This record gives sequence, structure tokens and C-alpha cells, in this order.
Amino acid sequence: MKNALKKIAIQSPWLYRINTGSCNGCDVELATTALIPRFDVERFGCKYCGSPKHADIVLVTGPLTDKMRDKVLHVYHEIPEPKVVVAVGICPISGGVFRDSYAIKEPLDAYIPVDVNVPGCPPRPQAIIDGIVKAVEIWKSKL
Amino acid sequence: MGSYLKTVIQNLLKGPSTDPYPFGKTFEPKGLRGKIRFNSQACVACRTCEHVCAGNAIRIKEAEDKSGLHFVVWHNTCAFCGLCEHYCPTKAIRMTADYHTAHSQAEKYNYVEQGFIKYVPCSCCGKPMIPVAAELLALAYKETANVEFLAQLCERCRPGNRLRKEE
Repeated sequence: MKNALKKIAIQSPWLYRINTGSCNGCDVELATTALIPRFDVERFGCKYCGSPKHADIVLVTGPLTDKMRDKVLHVYHEIPEPKVVVAVGICPISGGVFRDSYAIKEPLDAYIPVDVNVPGCPPRPQAIIDGIVKAVEIWKSKL
Repeated sequence: MGSYLKTVIQNLLKGPSTDPYPFGKTFEPKGLRGKIRFNSQACVACRTCEHVCAGNAIRIKEAEDKSGLHFVVWHNTCAFCGLCEHYCPTKAIRMTADYHTAHSQAEKYNYVEQGFIKYVPCSCCGKPMIPVAAELLALAYKETANVEFLAQLCERCRPGNRLRKEE
């Protein structure tokens, strides 16, 4: 029964987006990969959901500003296990061009275990699709 | 109503507009800025790229054994802005069209482009110096012949008496 459910679940990893102080560049690219038919991330069964309770794959954009940190952790802990975290853009990975700013203490992986990194400023939709495909594979192994 | 139906039928005949990537080929716009490729032969270690780098991704450090310079670009903080390519006098830095950047967390700190610029001894005083690239000579001396011996001298030996002796 559990294996049968796994097989079904793998076909629909739901995506959830957390903006941790992003400039919206990566968010626009994420919207582009999903919401328009041209790149169409829904071919992999992905779907954006509005609630962290429904999420399987978490896409994080933005450099995790000091103001956002506690709120992001709060939302992150609401996401049920197993979850896969994808850092989209250079900001969550290292701080990017905002590194050493007074508003950014540490990159994302100091607080949250990240699984996949997709650097770029912003990454191309195709690169984000690569990252999501990688994340789906990791999610399969975690289930 | 008629025109609307006409458009619908035309679009139906066209087939899907979805980009087939990752199952098929995708397009690449002209001038796409992807990962950096570094040519250590052409680099003269002027450090302009390090200075203009928006994401502070480029580091040029002397090796511990003082045998040369390490050039490192960490793609995970590179904004792919292309400033380094633009300001590089000898075009040792080139942006490729490689945009495939997704990688796992384990590779995070190894996701770099590296190069090593080995010092050569000055033919006059013997002190180690950064080799003078042919690209820089072409830029500095244009078509002046006989600058090969100049390229083997360090910046202290180049001006003055050395030159007059050779003439």
C-alpha cells in the first residue's frame, strides 16, 4: 500500500516558494517556468501551492535578510517532512551581490539544510527546470 | 466571431508552443552570458576583473610556494554580469553560453573555474615575474617588431639602459 502511494505521490511534487528578501528577479523566472505554457514545469506533475502544509519541494529565493530570518524559519518548519529545498539564484546560496551587507548575516544553508543549488542572477528557466528535476529525484529517495 | 475562430484553428494547427527542454532541444539567445571560461595563457594578472566583480566571485591569490598566482571564480556568487569580460584587457576571461548551473549541495564549494598563472624568471635580474602574454604585447606595442626580448624582462629591467643596449 505504501509503495503504491509512493508511486502515485512521485508523479505530483508540489512546489512552494519562499521569498526571503529577493529582488523578484528569480521570482519572475520561477513564475515563468511554471505559469506560462512555454516552459511549463507542470509537465513533471509540479504545481505551485499557496500553503506550506501542502508543499513537497521548497524553492527559496532571496538572500535571507535579517528581518526575514525568523519568519522564514517559521514557515519552513510548517512544511511537512519529507521536503527538498532548492536555493534559486546566487543570493540564498552565498549572499550573491549582497554578501557582507549589514542585513545579511549568513547564507541560507547556515539555518536550513539545502539540497539543490541553482546559481544565476537570475538563472534561466531551463536551469531552474534542471534544478527541479534534480529535486524530484532527491525527493523520490527521501520518500 | 469569425476572426476569433480563425485564430483558434490556426493555433491548433501550429501545435504546442512549449519548449521541449529537458526532453528536447532548447533555444539560446545571442549573447547569452553563462559560466566564465578562463585562459591562464592570456592573463596578465592586472586584477581589474577582481576589482569590478559585482558578486566578489573572482579571487587572485599568490600560491603558498610563491610559484605563481591562483585565479578562482566561484560560480555560486557570480552574477554573470559580464563586467570581467568587458574590462579584461587581453580577453583572458570569456563568458560561455553554458547556463546549466543546477548542482547538489555537496558540490557547492567546488563549483569553481580555476586557473594557475606560473611565474617566469626575468632574463636580466632573475626575479620571478608574471609572464607577459602575447595578447598584451599586441595591445601595447601594436605592430612594432622585436619586442620579444622586452617580454622577458621584468618591469624594473625594462626601461632605461637595457633597451639602449639591445638597439
